[in-house]
Amino acid sequence: MKSQSMSSLKIDNLQLSQQGKLLLSLNEEVKGGEVLTIMGPSGSGKSTLLNWLVGMLPSDFYANGELYLNQQIITNTASHLRNIGLLYQDPLLFPHLTVEGNIAFAMPKGDKKTRKDEISEALNQVGLAGMEKRCPQNLSGGQQARVALLRVLLSKPKAILLDEPFSKLDSQLRQETRQLVFEQIQRYSLPAVMVTHDESDAIAAQGKVITLDALPLNQAAS
Amino acid sequence: MIVANTLFTRLVRNSPYLLIALLVVPVLGGLLGVLLPAFGWFPALGANEFGLFGFVQLFNTPGIERMVLLSFGTSLISTLLAFVITVLILASYFNSPWLKRIQRLLGPILVIPHAAAAIAIGFLITPSGFLSRLISPWLTGWDIPPDWLFPHDPYGLSIILGLTLKELPFLLLIALGVLAQPEIGKTLKAQHKVASSLGYCPMTGFFKVILPSLYGYMRLPILAVLAYSSASVEIPLILGSNTPPTLAVAIMQWFNDVDLSLRIKASSGAILQILITLSLLGSWCLLELLVKKCSTSFLVNGEREYGGMLIQRVTHLITTVMLSVIGLALVAMVLWSFAGFWSFPDLLPQQLVTLHWSSALLQMQTPLFNTLVIAISTTLIAIALTLFVLEAEQQNTKTISAISGFIIYLPLLIPSIAFLFGLVWLFEQVNSQHAYINVVFSHLLFVLPYVFLSLANSYRRLDPRFSTVAASLGVQPSKIFWQLKLPLLLSPILIASALGLAISFSQYLPTLLSGAGRINTITTEAVTLANGASRRTSAVYALMQMLLPALFFILAWAAPKLFFRNRG
Repeated sequence: MKSQSMSSLKIDNLQLSQQGKLLLSLNEEVKGGEVLTIMGPSGSGKSTLLNWLVGMLPSDFYANGELYLNQQIITNTASHLRNIGLLYQDPLLFPHLTVEGNIAFAMPKGDKKTRKDEISEALNQVGLAGMEKRCPQNLSGGQQARVALLRVLLSKPKAILLDEPFSKLDSQLRQETRQLVFEQIQRYSLPAVMVTHDESDAIAAQGKVITLDALPLNQAAS
Repeated sequence: MIVANTLFTRLVRNSPYLLIALLVVPVLGGLLGVLLPAFGWFPALGANEFGLFGFVQLFNTPGIERMVLLSFGTSLISTLLAFVITVLILASYFNSPWLKRIQRLLGPILVIPHAAAAIAIGFLITPSGFLSRLISPWLTGWDIPPDWLFPHDPYGLSIILGLTLKELPFLLLIALGVLAQPEIGKTLKAQHKVASSLGYCPMTGFFKVILPSLYGYMRLPILAVLAYSSASVEIPLILGSNTPPTLAVAIMQWFNDVDLSLRIKASSGAILQILITLSLLGSWCLLELLVKKCSTSFLVNGEREYGGMLIQRVTHLITTVMLSVIGLALVAMVLWSFAGFWSFPDLLPQQLVTLHWSSALLQMQTPLFNTLVIAISTTLIAIALTLFVLEAEQQNTKTISAISGFIIYLPLLIPSIAFLFGLVWLFEQVNSQHAYINVVFSHLLFVLPYVFLSLANSYRRLDPRFSTVAASLGVQPSKIFWQLKLPLLLSPILIASALGLAISFSQYLPTLLSGAGRINTITTEAVTLANGASRRTSAVYALMQMLLPALFFILAWAAPKLFFRNRG
């Protein structure tokens, strides 16, 4: 029973292809708190893999295989019903909402006061205490990255995908943010898949690393 | 940037001043020419004393409240409807291939002149029109045309229908244009994806994430649409009631009255029109505030799903109905233009004849010639001036100031009925008797903004390194302009020209007034015929109004392909 309730993201015999040509095949299971790192040059199918995981595979690609989240099959679930959070290299905060609004947007419905307290506490934990009413545009890059992280975490996802999440931060900030993100992933015990170009990200993640091959040129071009 | 001092660069550098002067002088002069008589100063009538009797006369006009209400109501409701439907379409078909298809279907409607659109809708909803024929007698049992009030209904419903159908494609294309801009579009789509990954259904995600940002970019075009529709003349003239008409139509009738003393009342009316337009803009801004205030907690309450499926179904329905209305109106018009005897309630004419076309084409020669001469002269001037101004921007390495940018759209924001009469008075003062030149001059006010709007993006986006490379090879600025930039921009220039021609073709009020009624174009003839006896001739003219711009757009689209056919 215990292993049943353990959170996990399982990619079962995935084969991604485009116009009949195989892009990649993958068979992996990521347990809660672990980070699976995918590396590879551009055109190797990293972003296609992410698109498949969130359920937004463009129609010119074809996928074979199943995706399980906590033992439930979600291969054909609409992307907004998957409970898979996404963290991009751009924070993509909503400019029409405050910091608080951005996080509240992500949280489940509930009592206004409880949600507000939860936001304040979370901001406090990542060193952004008192920034509730600020506009996201006026924050520094590192602060924006932290708000984006809180937004994903407080939406209570069951798994998280990281799409080159640190590539726009300079090296000092990069280390701090990276550490924070991995700490939080362990704290919430989330299965995570990270796509990155950067060797040091892969090392810091301390999980399994898969390197995708570059495709032959004629395939990569298409 | 160091710029060589040649005749060409001097010409270019001064072109923005010419552009601003060409737009500001007529508009402000025109406003002055209305303001003075509105307050009683009209020497030609021997009225040399300032006073408010124009306004007294105006407010004593029977039905004036209804005129104001009609102007206010029809424009506010139609703009609101067009906006809501635009948003529904965007929300329902965001990320769907249907958005592109709807865009392609609605795009051509943008260049259909207001007058032609109104005539087409009239054919559909008139008692013996296509709509009542479609449902008679099998559904309604009608053997004679029903006794309904459409068009010309006293509540302005027909006007609202006409305005909405005409405004909708414009707003939709503006929104799609924003989404197509690389940075904005990409960010908004990524944010939508974020919302989706946070569990928001696509529809709610659109309303809570995309719309608040997108609206900021649509705001000015919406206000322009609102201002335009509050004072437009063609649609209320053709589809509206005449007892009483909208204020703009009434003003036009007073100005054109043989009784010159009505001019003072008309001028006061023009001032009232400006106030109505301003109060409409103000009301819209208040509505914005209200919605903003009410929606703050709605945006962050965490609710992910608001009956998106239902909204989507309603949108499918609205879109289908709208496209059918447009399609049926066009079919009806084509049928009428070929109809021989066509008794009610037959769906199709008993016989099809080409008589209306052949006789109309014969009568049409002079108007057609006028239309083309005026449109081509206007567009050539507009294109040349726009290109020079955009080149001046690049010479100064900065875009024109915000004020100049605003001034370019001035003629579109100020109700034309309010300044065109003053402009005519101004023409009289400088003793300009050349009707053609006057008409070209007034068309320029409306053609220039659109040509500028259409060309500016492509010109600004042209890779500056082309000119840098050419300059480093020792090529003169004038040669870079003529032999490098213009050929590179051939396609956008041709499209902008087609747009300019289409705008000029569609002008009714400026042609009528600046030409002092002596210059007939296809559009002025079409409006005159719209409420006349022969529905068949009217159909031919309205179709000509649509065919002309379509022809030039096809040319603009095909010409570069033919021109560059021999290159890989």
